[in-house]
Amino acid sequence: MTNLVFGRRQAEALVYREARLLDDLELDEWLTLFTDDGIYWVPIDENAPVDESVSIIYDWPLRREERVRHLLDIPFPAQSPRSRTMHLVSNVESVKQESGEYLVRTNQIIHEIRVGDFSQVGLGVVNVLAGQVHYTVRIVNGNPLIAMKKVLLLNREMPQGNLTFML
Amino acid sequence: MTESNEAADPGLVWTGPKRFRVRTAAYVDPVVFAREMKRVFESNWVFVAHESEISEPGNYKTSHIGLQPVIISRDDDRQIHVLLNRCVHRGAAVCREQRGSANLFRCPYHGWMYGNDGKLVGMSLAGGDAGYDSDFDRPEGLVRVPRVESYRGMVFASLNPDVKPLVEYLGRAAWIIDNKLDASPVGQIQLRSKPIVARYPGNWKFQAENIVDGYHFSFVHEGFTHLQRQYQDATGDFGVHAGNDSPADVRRVRSRGRNYGTPNGHGLTARPVADLVPWLEGKHGAYYRELLDAYGEERLKMIAGRSTASIFPNLGLIHHQIRVWRPLSANLTEVTVYPYDLVGVDEEINRGWLRSQERFYGAAGYGQPDDTEVFAVNQQGLSATAVDWLILERGLHAERDEGGGDWSGQPGGEVPQRSFWLEWMRRMESQEEQS
Ligand code: FES
Ligand SMILES: [Fe+2]
Repeated sequence: MTNLVFGRRQAEALVYREARLLDDLELDEWLTLFTDDGIYWVPIDENAPVDESVSIIYDWPLRREERVRHLLDIPFPAQSPRSRTMHLVSNVESVKQESGEYLVRTNQIIHEIRVGDFSQVGLGVVNVLAGQVHYTVRIVNGNPLIAMKKVLLLNREMPQGNLTFML
Repeated sequence: MTESNEAADPGLVWTGPKRFRVRTAAYVDPVVFAREMKRVFESNWVFVAHESEISEPGNYKTSHIGLQPVIISRDDDRQIHVLLNRCVHRGAAVCREQRGSANLFRCPYHGWMYGNDGKLVGMSLAGGDAGYDSDFDRPEGLVRVPRVESYRGMVFASLNPDVKPLVEYLGRAAWIIDNKLDASPVGQIQLRSKPIVARYPGNWKFQAENIVDGYHFSFVHEGFTHLQRQYQDATGDFGVHAGNDSPADVRRVRSRGRNYGTPNGHGLTARPVADLVPWLEGKHGAYYRELLDAYGEERLKMIAGRSTASIFPNLGLIHHQIRVWRPLSANLTEVTVYPYDLVGVDEEINRGWLRSQERFYGAAGYGQPDDTEVFAVNQQGLSATAVDWLILERGLHAERDEGGGDWSGQPGGEVPQRSFWLEWMRRMESQEEQS
């Protein structure tokens, strides 16, 4: 159908753009990076069946939309004040799968801080998350779209703090 | 501050006919914290595990009684043991995994070996002039927590050999446990998913109070009610927050039912469903009709309802989860949410409850992160120690005696919280020195 090669450079363009949209809270545009059935998954136990195990995030398309509406439109204590984030992406590799989709593997470091009265508990401190982020990329009408974003946090089954920002 | 010789000083909890106030120090003072580890945790029943977590011989998990690290293991004869995770030789931890399966626990320092029943089964290089004499006072094994009892698969342990029997201790709280577990046609739950674990920079008692607090929902979770109005069940609520579509709706829904206080400090919110028809005729009607046949209408109203419990000192029941809070210091707490499956119930129903809990209680969810944020905000607020008291007097004028030492009030009042604090105070201020 298409001989578009989705190699490392193309993969970098996609994941850098995603990182920018997340950090700039351009989340309506972020939603358009996914396929219509695109899943956003942050597992606690990536080897357990999804149906038998709670995840940190398991968002099907309507849930992704809900997450964006929640974060952009609705005030809530865990984001009052709001987080600032910075996603650093590296170690990008893109490998074509038998299905015709591409598996893009990256390593990411996410820095997050909530400002406000930085003398107070929980504010004014930079938190660091690290993990592998794997994207399944499907080429739809010549456009590379994310069919699955899977975030494997290094500390996924450990105690978590407030993760109510975009990972 | 924590102790006073003045007779007029009300102490940490100030009670009177129209008074119920708790001193700031009860949440922030490290001296109080050290005392409550001894008197509230180490002298009392504490929830440590559910039997389904260690279902097979050799299975174990680690847990805590206050600050004391323990191993809960099932031996080859299926007997459950609760053991201090400390080699009796020179102190190394003998188990470094959170859960697993083992015939033996081998100490990494000098290789002493313990069976999965805790017995010392091997001492390395025991003989000779560098070893032990023939009359060496050989320890029996890992130090054993003296009392272990289960109620419907929920394992409690106590470092105090003289605690009252568990069923007596649970009292009316067992009624909530029964209603939760009887939602399974065979009366059993199973912990299958890995848990959700969170830490917050605040005192553990905020979580113990809040799980039975009907007052906060329309404020802390106001954003959630907006989300609920918009998405209803489409994003996986599974009917749990039906009718919680605005702060006003929440206040109406959550004032139904009855709050209970009990003599052992458990705080309960019993919220039966008002009308069974939507359940019996809904998508999963067959399941509810089966329960109706087994239990009748009144029990089913409770079973299908939304009751919660704060079981003194460290166990919570809400939604379809066991929740455990673990104090780390006066201002640091770990909360573990174990979603459970109802044994014998359609997979689709268990999956529904699971996705619903993930959406509300997860670290990136729309409920619990707001609660734990508020606990941190509370601890922050209490750094203003120049203010002496917190006020817990809602509904104090309208409490009702329920007999047997229990009492009740309307949800949204603070009966369950007062129940907690009264027991806490009895333990903290009791004259007898407990180990
Ligand atoms: S401390 Fe365990 S064998 Fe020495
Ligand atoms: Fe809450």
